[in-house]
Amino acid sequence: MEGSLLEPTLYVVKGMAILDNDGHRVLAKYYDKNIFPTAKEQKAFEKNLFNKTHRASAEIIMLDGLTCVYRSNVDLFFYVMGSSHENELILMTALNCLFDSVSAILRKNVEKRALFENLDIVMLAMDEICDGGIIMEADFNAVVQRVALRTDDIPLGEQTVAQVLQSAKEQLKWSLLK
Amino acid sequence: MAFKRDKKEEEDGGGNPFENIEKTSVLQEARAFNDTSVNPRKCTHILTKVLYLLNQGEILGTTEATEVFFAMTKLFQSKDVVLRRMVYLGIRELSSIAEDVIIVTSSLTKDMTGNEALYRAAAIRALCSITDVTMLQAIERYMKQAIVDKNPAVSSAALVSSLHLAKTAGELVKRWVNEAQEAFSSDNVMVQYHALGLMYHIRKTDRLAVIKLVSRLTKQGLKSPFAVCLLIRIACRLLEDDDSAPGTDSTLLSFIESCLRHKTELVIYEAAHAMVNLRRTTARELAPAVSVLQLFCSTSKPPLRFAAVRTLNQVAMSHPSAVTACNLDLENLITDSNRSIATLAITTLLKTGAESSVDR
Repeated sequence: MEGSLLEPTLYVVKGMAILDNDGHRVLAKYYDKNIFPTAKEQKAFEKNLFNKTHRASAEIIMLDGLTCVYRSNVDLFFYVMGSSHENELILMTALNCLFDSVSAILRKNVEKRALFENLDIVMLAMDEICDGGIIMEADFNAVVQRVALRTDDIPLGEQTVAQVLQSAKEQLKWSLLK
Repeated sequence: MAFKRDKKEEEDGGGNPFENIEKTSVLQEARAFNDTSVNPRKCTHILTKVLYLLNQGEILGTTEATEVFFAMTKLFQSKDVVLRRMVYLGIRELSSIAEDVIIVTSSLTKDMTGNEALYRAAAIRALCSITDVTMLQAIERYMKQAIVDKNPAVSSAALVSSLHLAKTAGELVKRWVNEAQEAFSSDNVMVQYHALGLMYHIRKTDRLAVIKLVSRLTKQGLKSPFAVCLLIRIACRLLEDDDSAPGTDSTLLSFIESCLRHKTELVIYEAAHAMVNLRRTTARELAPAVSVLQLFCSTSKPPLRFAAVRTLNQVAMSHPSAVTACNLDLENLITDSNRSIATLAITTLLKTGAESSVDR
C-alpha cells in the first residue's frame, strides 16, 4: 500500500481533450512530457479512450494508467485525465469547469459546429482552466469573464426575455435529440 | 437514434471548417500579419488556424516557427482584445520551437505592468515562458509585484508561472516566499491554493519550516477546498517521515480526521483516502474513514462511487475486517452500470466477503 499517498503538488491534471463524435481530436492538451510524448501516441490513446467511452455514459474510466473523467453532449466528448492515484473529485471539478465554460461560451449550443465557430475563445478558455497541469481556475464564471468574449456578445445578465426563451428552446431541443 | 444519425450525416458536409487546412497555405496566410494595417478578425482567424494545426500535432520547423513568431509580434499594434489574447497564447505555444523569442520581452513587460487586467495575467504567463534564468532578474521586481496584485487572475498567473520557473531558476524563486505568503491571505480561493503550492514548493526541503507552516494552517482553517486537499497531502508527507518531532503527530492526525467532517465531498474523500493509506493508521482509526467511504458508495455520482470503492479495495488488502461492514453496499455495486466500479466491487468482495455473499 506504500506509495499510494498523494504527492503534495499543484500539478494534478495530466491532460484535457475535446473529441468529436468520430473520436477525432478537436482540441487536446497534455501536460506531462513523460506520458504520450508525441502526437502519434496521444492520438492512439484518444482513439482507445473514445472507443471505450463513447457508448457508455459512465463518467469515469481507468485507461493506460490514467484516471479519465468524461462528459458528452450531442456530438462532443470532454475528457480530463489525471494520474491513477489522483483524487477523482478534483479531476471532476476541472471537467465540470471545462464543460460549463464551453457551454457558456457557445450559449448552451454545445455542439461541434458551434465550437469550431468559436474555436479561438474555447482555446483561451482551456488555457485559463489549466496551465501546464495546474488547475488555474475552477469556477466557470471566472473563466468566461477572463476569455474576453467579443464586444458584440451579450453577457447573460443583460439578455432580453426573448433571447433567454430562445436559448431555453434550443436547450430543450437538444435534450430531446440526445 | 435515427434522427441523430441524420443529423450527423447532414453535418458531415460542413461540420469542421478546419478539416482541410494545410500547413503551407496557413503559413502563407500568416504573412498577412505583416500588413501595415491589421485586420483583427482576419488575423485572429489565421492565428486560430496556426494554433489549431499545432494542437493537431502538426510539426513546424524552426525556420517556419520563427517566421510565424516574428510575423505575430507585429500584431501587438492591434488593440483587439481577442487577437491580443491569441497572440499571448501563440507566443507560449511557439516559444519552445522558434528562435530569438526574447524579442517580445519588452512588449510583454509593458503589458504586464499596464492597466488592462485581462492583458496582465496573460502577459505574465507568456513572459515566463520565454525568459531564461539570466533574464529573469530583470523582471523579478515585476513578478514580485504581480504575485501580490489585488486582481486574482494576475496573482494566480504570477504564482503558477513562478512554480513553473522554479524548475529552472529554483534559487531565484525562493526569494519570493514573502510575496507568496502575502498572496496566501487573499480572499480568492484559487490564489490561496496557488500560493500554498508555491510556499510548500519553496520550503519542502526544510522540514522544520514545513512543520511550522502546517501547524499554523491547520489551526487557521482554509477557505479553498483545493488548498485543504494540498494541506492534507503535506501533513501525510510529514507523518510518513519517521523522525518527526514529538507531539506533532497527534495534531496532524486529528487535523486529517477533522477533515472527514468538511462540508465539501472533495475534501472528505481526500481525508478518507489519506487515512487509509497512512502506514501508521490502526484498524480502529480506520473506522470513521471507512464509514464515509461507505456513504459515498450509494451516491448518484459515478466518480464518487468509483473513488470510494477503489479506496475500499485498498483497505481490503491490508485490513479486510474493517471493510466487512460495507459488504452490503458493495454487493449493490456489482451491477453498477460503470464496469470499472462493478469490477472493483467484485474484487473487494472477494477479499472481504464470505462465499455466500459472492453467490448472490
